[in-house]
Amino acid sequence: MGTQPGQIRRSRNESSLAVTCALAGALSALAACTAPPPSPADPVTRGKAIFFNETFNGNGRTCGTCHPERNNFTVDPAFIATLPPTDPLFVAEFNPALGKNFENSKLMRQFGLILENLDGFDDLEKKFVMRGVPHVLAQRTSVNSSQGPRTGWSGDGAPGDGSLRSFATGAVIQHFTKTLNRVPGVDFRLPTDAELDALEAFMLSLGRQQDLALPLALKGTVAKRGQVIFLDNGLGKCNLCHVNAGATANFGAGNLGNANFNTGVENLPDQPADLTGELNPPDDGFGRPGDGTFNTPPLVEAADTGPFFHNNAIETIEGAVAFYNGDAFNKSPSGLALAKIDPRGVGIRLDATQVVAVAAFLRVLNALENIRQSIELLEAGAGKGFADRKEARELLKRAVSETQDSIKVLDGAGLHPEAVAHLQEASKLARKAARSFFRRDALARQAIDEQRKARAQLTEAP
Amino acid sequence: MLNRYLGLAILFVTLGGALGAHGQEATEIYIPVGQSPGLSGKSSLMGTLDSVDTGKRIVTVSSPSGARTVAFTERTSIWLDRSLQKQPNRSGAIADLQQGRKIEIKLRKGEPRPVAEWIKVQIPGAER
Repeated sequence: MGTQPGQIRRSRNESSLAVTCALAGALSALAACTAPPPSPADPVTRGKAIFFNETFNGNGRTCGTCHPERNNFTVDPAFIATLPPTDPLFVAEFNPALGKNFENSKLMRQFGLILENLDGFDDLEKKFVMRGVPHVLAQRTSVNSSQGPRTGWSGDGAPGDGSLRSFATGAVIQHFTKTLNRVPGVDFRLPTDAELDALEAFMLSLGRQQDLALPLALKGTVAKRGQVIFLDNGLGKCNLCHVNAGATANFGAGNLGNANFNTGVENLPDQPADLTGELNPPDDGFGRPGDGTFNTPPLVEAADTGPFFHNNAIETIEGAVAFYNGDAFNKSPSGLALAKIDPRGVGIRLDATQVVAVAAFLRVLNALENIRQSIELLEAGAGKGFADRKEARELLKRAVSETQDSIKVLDGAGLHPEAVAHLQEASKLARKAARSFFRRDALARQAIDEQRKARAQLTEAP
Repeated sequence: MLNRYLGLAILFVTLGGALGAHGQEATEIYIPVGQSPGLSGKSSLMGTLDSVDTGKRIVTVSSPSGARTVAFTERTSIWLDRSLQKQPNRSGAIADLQQGRKIEIKLRKGEPRPVAEWIKVQIPGAER
């Protein structure tokens, strides 16, 4: 009796299945022997799990819904367009209880704007503001001020004591609720003290842990000029409120920490969200009623986290720098104050080449930070043992994502093509490393070499 | 150079120095008495409402550490915590400051005497 082809195939499949099972069994036994259990004492690890997985019994959103790791902890229209219609970001589109006065889908999808009831919940129809999602990177450098912690776009985003630790409680109430009644224990549960501790630890662990020390020994002609303009308190004046391209102010008498300013962004004409004809009430910033001021964000991470300003009014980093030349800024309290102390009576006035130079500088800073993070991720990924291969793959994928960002910010302005070539190679190698079973370490090391070569194109520093 | 620094310092006072940081009150309304992060059990005043003097605009609160008198102003928010009833919290009025109710008060910073920034009044479970 002849054997049926199907039987032979099945028999082969069965033997390869048996081999696979044996191998998997051996590997999982090995993993069980070598993988340390996740440390419950590590608040950053616990905070990460809460940040990305915990819905607080609400509408399905997590912190990661609006602050996804794969998009620099923020959302923008391009990223939003990649999400499936069932993503909890769009909960207002499929949960009838949130269909009105919870989000504006049109403004969310077109401009990445999120609805916030910052001046109270007593008139949901008319009393709200539409804000972009700030990234949560480098918060260790950007939250503290001499007047207390500053969180969110207006610096007053947290209930309770106003700290970063308390921020999640307000976010759950505003964004995670199942209905607009917002009853704790019914529509959501409030984070526990232990969860707030862990979330704070995780958020503080993200991105840069300290400010840069400018000037950097940059190689690019335009970026180098941009740095000079940035640091010139008589020309660019950027460094007054963004010391070392961070989020703190220093007017000559010491660092004042993270400060709020009224820079007139609300007075920009033709704001994209307004052009749609959708209701978009003015945003009065800090406090109730607001005083018109908004919080200073760090600039190192700016170039790959647009759109810019609290209302996502400007799409490009060049546009964001150019904003400071316009009437909206120069007639604002901040612009007028700068003009008052300027010998020429000028707030900020840069020509187009100077705007581009400052933006190029910010793009290079961003790319350098991407490279720093990529190397850190690649080193961590390469260093993982066999038992931690899943984690290694995640780290390497994040390195790829960071590398893609650095390519984008440089390529977007035609900067440093040689560095871009190295970064492209680094990205390829990191991708291969993420997939590789046996050569992960070697490929990751090669990717690190390429990152270093790219960095050497941007700066003299090692 | 000195003039320039002086000017810049004035700039800070104009733009940012006068701001006192405080928590976002808007979502605070939905946080039940005793659960405000970083405040409850630390710097807020919690206890039972002893008395209200609407003329002098003061409340007296008794707590395990003794009785304390706190002033309120037209800027003081009064919120009704109806979470025990599983009902949404809402804004209240001075009339809701009833003796015997559990309350929590956040004190305004930088005041020479205790002044309430907000007062939460817990509505008992059976009451609507």
